Amino acid sequence: MIARIAAKEFTDTLRDGRFRWSALIVVTLLVAALGAGVRHYREVSAQHARAAETMREFWVNQPAKNPHSAAHYGLWAFKPRTLLSLVDQGVDPYVGVAAYLEAHKQNEFQFRPAMDATATQRFGQWTAATIMQLLLPLLIIVLAFPAFAGEREQGTLRQLLSLGVRPSALAAGKALGVAAALGVLVVPAAFLGAAALVLAANEGGVGEEWPRILLMGATYLAYFAIFVAVALAVSARTRSSRVALLVLLGFWALNSLVAPRALSDVARRVHPTPSAFQFVTALDADLKKGLDGYSPDERIAALREATLAKYGVRTVDSLPINFDAIAMQASEEDGNKVFDKHYGALYDAYARQNGVRQLGAVVAPLLAVRDLSMGLAGTDVEHHRAFATAAEQYRRMLVKRMNDAMAENSRTGDWGWKADPSLWREVPPFAFEGPPVTQALAAHGTSLWLLGGWLVLAALSLLRTRILRPE
Amino acid sequence: MTATAPLPSDVAASHAHTGAVLEAQGLTRRFGSFTALHPLDLAIAPGEVFCLLGANGAGKSTTINLFLNFIEPSGGRALIEGLDVTQHPLETKRYVAYIPETVMLYKNLSGIENLDYFASLATGRRHERDELLQFLLQAGLQVDAVDKRVGGYSKGMRQKVGIAIALAKRARALLLDEPTSGLDPKASNEFSELLAMLREQGAAILMATHDLFRAKESGTRVGIMKHGHLVQTLSTADIGHADLERLYLEHMRD
Repeated sequence: MIARIAAKEFTDTLRDGRFRWSALIVVTLLVAALGAGVRHYREVSAQHARAAETMREFWVNQPAKNPHSAAHYGLWAFKPRTLLSLVDQGVDPYVGVAAYLEAHKQNEFQFRPAMDATATQRFGQWTAATIMQLLLPLLIIVLAFPAFAGEREQGTLRQLLSLGVRPSALAAGKALGVAAALGVLVVPAAFLGAAALVLAANEGGVGEEWPRILLMGATYLAYFAIFVAVALAVSARTRSSRVALLVLLGFWALNSLVAPRALSDVARRVHPTPSAFQFVTALDADLKKGLDGYSPDERIAALREATLAKYGVRTVDSLPINFDAIAMQASEEDGNKVFDKHYGALYDAYARQNGVRQLGAVVAPLLAVRDLSMGLAGTDVEHHRAFATAAEQYRRMLVKRMNDAMAENSRTGDWGWKADPSLWREVPPFAFEGPPVTQALAAHGTSLWLLGGWLVLAALSLLRTRILRPE
Repeated sequence: MTATAPLPSDVAASHAHTGAVLEAQGLTRRFGSFTALHPLDLAIAPGEVFCLLGANGAGKSTTINLFLNFIEPSGGRALIEGLDVTQHPLETKRYVAYIPETVMLYKNLSGIENLDYFASLATGRRHERDELLQFLLQAGLQVDAVDKRVGGYSKGMRQKVGIAIALAKRARALLLDEPTSGLDPKASNEFSELLAMLREQGAAILMATHDLFRAKESGTRVGIMKHGHLVQTLSTADIGHADLERLYLEHMRD
């Protein structure tokens, strides 16, 4: 019986002019967003790849010079775009794309695409993700709001109930029918999306990304299912189809417009982060003072004593190694501890803010989907943090190598010593592999659970419509 | 009692007792302090056409809604084939076909597609196109209208689809609410012929109507309702058209 009802709902919906028009609009927008995403992704990936190559060449082709100079010369690290970022850009437009790696400093990421954006783009890019998160639910609402209320007004609901059709069977049948009608739209769009991804992928192809792609698909499907169930459940319970539409539009507005803003504010209030100025000021203060209360000068004095004792000599000039280099490396490491403290606290605060936002999914399933979508696309703050950490590790490795080379191969005070250019090549090029998908899921566990909860509740509320008043 | 499958004794007992397909026993309905239907006793046997006459608000539609379990009785019970409709809501609907004043169908589907849908939901199985076509033709629908979208159907055509559904269901009882209101004389006459056919097939029919002429023509008994009371019941064979009207108006006075 359910299949019979679903088949009829499917046919009825497909013949409805309203469905045809709105479906056409949504599909056109989706295709356009995917196309733009692919183009943008390929352009930017190519740019980043070229830039990275150029950086490497500059580094490797440095002439013979003091290694510490090379450490100051530094290089730029470019954050690679993930393949799925063409579907969901996440925080990428708002965090920088490149960091300058040099001695003594952990630099902020620069070049935020959002800074170059026009006024309208500030409202958010139209990516495939935003269309699926905001527009598709609207389409579902338009399709499903008259499902019961409209039939009640038409009189066909009376007809159906007089046949002895169980309300739960009717509800399930309608849900499947609407889902099937949506499928006519969503399935080709999914194929298009997959094609776009394959098209955009550079060498290496899509291979490793399949788990993320499939999980993302599942996430959005769950989101659509939630809306189908909610729309039908509301339609079954309201007095008229107009009231059903109003209630559903209200829910959509709460879900898409109010909740994200409100939750962001709450998150920021509960776990505030320092302003840029406050951050830099606190960082500088700790760098000057030293974390354990000893000033840098005091520490260098202590280090000198320890080193002299270690090699059993009396003066710094008698050391077989270059003390300046050792001192610089020591102060580098002290500085790194300060950076770790402050940046660590900052990223931890971001993580906690995200936790609060995830809880908002209790009222608005959009928050769960947005969160999961970014996590799976690798465009969330966690992914950025992973890259920033990797870049920072590379920087520390590079600087230490340079300082060590200087320490071992020259004597204290010999600032004129030049290392052979072959040293530059010994430093491996910077390569970053994103965290595995399991890590992404772990960071967004709350969202996953809440999305699941919404799905179960919505389905239950729909199937338990036992009382379908015939008028 | 909870809703369970009817015991053979339930059906046999009431059915054997009265032989009626549609039965009301002290059936009452109140809305707060207002009584829409005072205790009603009624029994309609197979082959009978019982016409409920009365003004708007007299309780005719309430009676039908009670039989369909669209509203709960405040007292007494409504039985279809001996089963209480509140205790066997799905089972009893299988025996009865309901044709409202305007038969509402899905306007994007054709006549035969609508019949297919409703019939398959009613009987639980799919029907061949030929079978469905036969039901529609039996009900009097023109063959060239069968595949057109019902959005373009007239009231009479919709009613014929409704009757086709009743035929497909092999309903033993029919509940008709103002079936001839809005029909032209020809369509009204066709409807009479259909009623006769259904009677011959042994269906028990309860028809709420204003149409005194049609009631005398097609009905076996008439019942006059006023303010929720069934004030008089009589056989149509025992009274002529003019007298029926006079009797009706007399009751309606005051």
